[in-house]
Amino acid sequence: MREWLLLAVILIPFAVAVLIPLLPFRSRNGMLLFMEAGVLLNSILVFVLLSLHPEQALTVFRFTGNLSITLKADGVGSLYAALVAALWPFAMLYSFEYMKHEHNEKSFFLFYVVTYGVTLGVAFSENILTMYFFFEMLSLITLPLVMHTRTREAILASRTYLYYMLGGAAFAFIGVIFILTYGSTSSFVAGGVLDPAGLGGRMELTEIVFVLCFLGVAVKTAVWPFSSWLPKAGVAPTPVTALLHAVAVVNTGAFAAMRVTYFSFGTKLLRSTAAQRLLMGLVLFTIVYGCSRALKETHIKRRLAWSTVSNLSYILFGIVMMTPAGLAAGLAHMLFHSVMKICSFFCAGAVMHQSGKSYIHELDGFGRKMPKVFCSFTISSFALMGVPGLCGFVSKWNLAKAALQTQDAMAVAGIAALMISALLTAIYMLTIVVRAFFPGREFEYGKLGDLKDPGWMMLLPLFVFVIAMFVFGLHSGPVIRMLEQITAGIQ
Amino acid sequence: MKEWILISVILPAVMGVCLLLASFAENVKRSETVNRKNRRRDRQTGEQGTQFGLHCFVGIVLALSVAITFFTAYGGEKSLVLFPLVDGIPVAFRTDDLSCFFVTIVGIVWLCAGVYSFRYMSHEGDEKRFYGFYLLLYGVLCGLCFSANLVTMYLFYELMTLTSMPLVLHNGSREAIMASLKYLFYSMCGAYAGLFGIFFLNRYCDTLDFVAGGSLNMTTVSGQEEMLLVAVFVMLLGFGAKAGLFPMHAWLPAAHPVAPSPASAVLSGVIVKFGVFAMIRTVFYVVGPAFLRGTWVQYAWMTLALLTVFMGSMLAFGEPVLKKRLAYSTVSQISYILFGLSLLTPTAFSGALLHTAVHAFVKCGLFLTAGVWIWQSGLTRVEELRGIGRKMPVLLWGYTVLSLALVGIPPTGGFLSKWYLAQGAVQSQTGVFRLMGPAVLLVSALLTAGYLFPITMNGFFPGKTQDGSQPPQRKDPPAGMLVPVLLLALAAVLLGVIPGPVTKYIADIAALVCR
Repeated sequence: MREWLLLAVILIPFAVAVLIPLLPFRSRNGMLLFMEAGVLLNSILVFVLLSLHPEQALTVFRFTGNLSITLKADGVGSLYAALVAALWPFAMLYSFEYMKHEHNEKSFFLFYVVTYGVTLGVAFSENILTMYFFFEMLSLITLPLVMHTRTREAILASRTYLYYMLGGAAFAFIGVIFILTYGSTSSFVAGGVLDPAGLGGRMELTEIVFVLCFLGVAVKTAVWPFSSWLPKAGVAPTPVTALLHAVAVVNTGAFAAMRVTYFSFGTKLLRSTAAQRLLMGLVLFTIVYGCSRALKETHIKRRLAWSTVSNLSYILFGIVMMTPAGLAAGLAHMLFHSVMKICSFFCAGAVMHQSGKSYIHELDGFGRKMPKVFCSFTISSFALMGVPGLCGFVSKWNLAKAALQTQDAMAVAGIAALMISALLTAIYMLTIVVRAFFPGREFEYGKLGDLKDPGWMMLLPLFVFVIAMFVFGLHSGPVIRMLEQITAGIQ
Repeated sequence: MKEWILISVILPAVMGVCLLLASFAENVKRSETVNRKNRRRDRQTGEQGTQFGLHCFVGIVLALSVAITFFTAYGGEKSLVLFPLVDGIPVAFRTDDLSCFFVTIVGIVWLCAGVYSFRYMSHEGDEKRFYGFYLLLYGVLCGLCFSANLVTMYLFYELMTLTSMPLVLHNGSREAIMASLKYLFYSMCGAYAGLFGIFFLNRYCDTLDFVAGGSLNMTTVSGQEEMLLVAVFVMLLGFGAKAGLFPMHAWLPAAHPVAPSPASAVLSGVIVKFGVFAMIRTVFYVVGPAFLRGTWVQYAWMTLALLTVFMGSMLAFGEPVLKKRLAYSTVSQISYILFGLSLLTPTAFSGALLHTAVHAFVKCGLFLTAGVWIWQSGLTRVEELRGIGRKMPVLLWGYTVLSLALVGIPPTGGFLSKWYLAQGAVQSQTGVFRLMGPAVLLVSALLTAGYLFPITMNGFFPGKTQDGSQPPQRKDPPAGMLVPVLLLALAAVLLGVIPGPVTKYIADIAALVCR
């Protein structure tokens, strides 16, 4: 019985979404109330589900043999589901106010809500085929959101988005077929399903396929050289950029990479192979590359998008260490980065919504006019930089600790990459902060007119995330212990 | 009564934050009044009353905080463990001899510069913001002094950078903003290099708590010495950024001239010392001097320090803008301290600590003096100061005494500290550095005399080049600005005249850590 909840939480968002254009809402607020209630209910159900700990898998549909759509809530999956469920209601609330001035609200909200279900589907996938199914669906469902504004730029961006996503999925598919052929089962099993004997000495092939598959799913996390879609997709409305392109879609990529590495191919097989080195090299390069590009970028959302590119590679860095500690650290950064980045994106969105400005050099003096937004932005900048006491420091610490434990020269070089990236983060975030708060002595505030903080629906999520950053930063013990428990058995 | 530590950190910090909020609210209100003329009139009418109130408030809070800090520091050894921050490592405070030593310097300098700034800052505007950050920074520095492990220290180290930056950009000109960003990025770069090392030390040390003599776990280290040495070296370079160690010194001459003078005084007198402090904590309390003795890290550290000593003095010698000259002088003088530390012997360590105190008082005093000249007559370049002794003889005497102390002429404190440094170098087992060290220090002392004394000489004896036959009117600065300078000069001299208690205190620390 409990297992049916797994399906329910995936389907409820679909039902809610389908009803949005069908129900005759008398006012905008009625529609908002309906959607928020639906999303909130679903989130509550997710947490109820997680507290019940359903042990069994639920097979929804069986094609043939071991090909089936099956759902299960295991440790890492539950963690990811909890993260998504915690963030979605806040993002929903924010987007109500944000979308007030945009067109085609209904189609926007339809796809926005559906994405929730699909993301949960990825989290609860029990086997590689199910994950692939939801993974592909996520690409397609989010496409209309990217081209929402229907401008030429948006259409072009969505085309790039589509090519990258489908290309990535195609590479991932190679991995799926490989696992289905050589794996003892298609399910996710901690430690992997490949048996060295069964491979019959095809180790090189395995490595090549693993690299292709990993990069295929990592296209979603925008690892170099597949990173340019993410900044381009910034043309989407900010709630999309914030929730999907900083959290849901990109983390799904990281999550899938984790599944592939630890639960399908198995780290025992891959540890200290050329494949691991190659991937780690790419990931480390992306960490520095993303930050450098962010530094050069003058559009605030694109700057944050490049920052996301770099930060997601922190997560991948944890994953390609191929140790339980590395995985735990990567997952920790997944949690913390989501909170930090969604907060900074929401701040950027608030600025764009209130003033219509989107370039950094236009933000002079905004701090005094929108103090609440810019204080939140400052705190999220500090968190991203890794100031102790905020959550970014905790995940950096754990990543570095895990890297040192591997005794691998490359992982140690990774610590240097983390520090360089932290410095660059400080530069590209704090220049915005300084500009906003200290525009210079001669600055005429009259020019800004009656710019002010947005309404409570936009501010409340910001405050919640700021508090979360402090709580995770100052009291990270329970979270880290939980992650260590989850990852302890995964070799 | 271990909670006193927390109070000495939190009281000034909270008061500072209150002032900042007040300042922010005021600015928001002001920015809403679009009419500029109204704004100016508002300012002038309300100014006198609120300024006095503000000064009283800041003065009382500052005095109270310093009193509490001293009471905490000297009221017996205390330790306080708060919550775990990361990885089970708690935010923890402890008062040991070294922290008492540094916190004393901070307290004295902060009081002097604070009193001075009451007059100085009234012309700069945005006083509330300045005092807000000033008090906040004091709280952060107390936390930094009292921190009991590397993670806590790192926490306050970053906070120090973030809260001292607004002091640099205070006047809001484009130049100041660029300089403050430069300061920020150099410091951040340094802090991250430090953090890089902390990750390694976390693995190779028994504990990150400060233990005199270090707590390196030799069984874990064996076989990985080279990697750890690299990490320690990166860390030294990182903390060296704050201390102006070559090649990360460039922020000092950019940030000091644009900051308001009380800010540059505390920046140069105190903030840079915390780069030194962090190095002492790392090398002598976590890694342990024994591990570094005779390694390439020690020699590289010594070389860099000597290079910086010489280079800083040369640059100062050729610099016509007084505050920049003093900034370069700081670069050079801090590396005296670093050279002393890098020798890893008790005598040199004593010399380094003593020089920390001397330089803090002297450089703070010199910057305050330079500030008076800017404040009263807008004089920033050295050649403009010709004949200044006729106008402000008392101040110039103060300046002269401070210069004597910095050059190291007996009986001032500077002589004593340099004596210890040279003695430590000669006694050490560092090969060529035994003689090269003292030689460089000597040359640099000559250069120091060369860049400081001309102001005194031309100030008192301007020569016949002046066109006006009338000697300029005597116009001493107000007591509020003069007294802090004189007190700091007095402190620098007293350190040399009655060195007994201080040198004994320092020698105890040195004997404990240099094993």
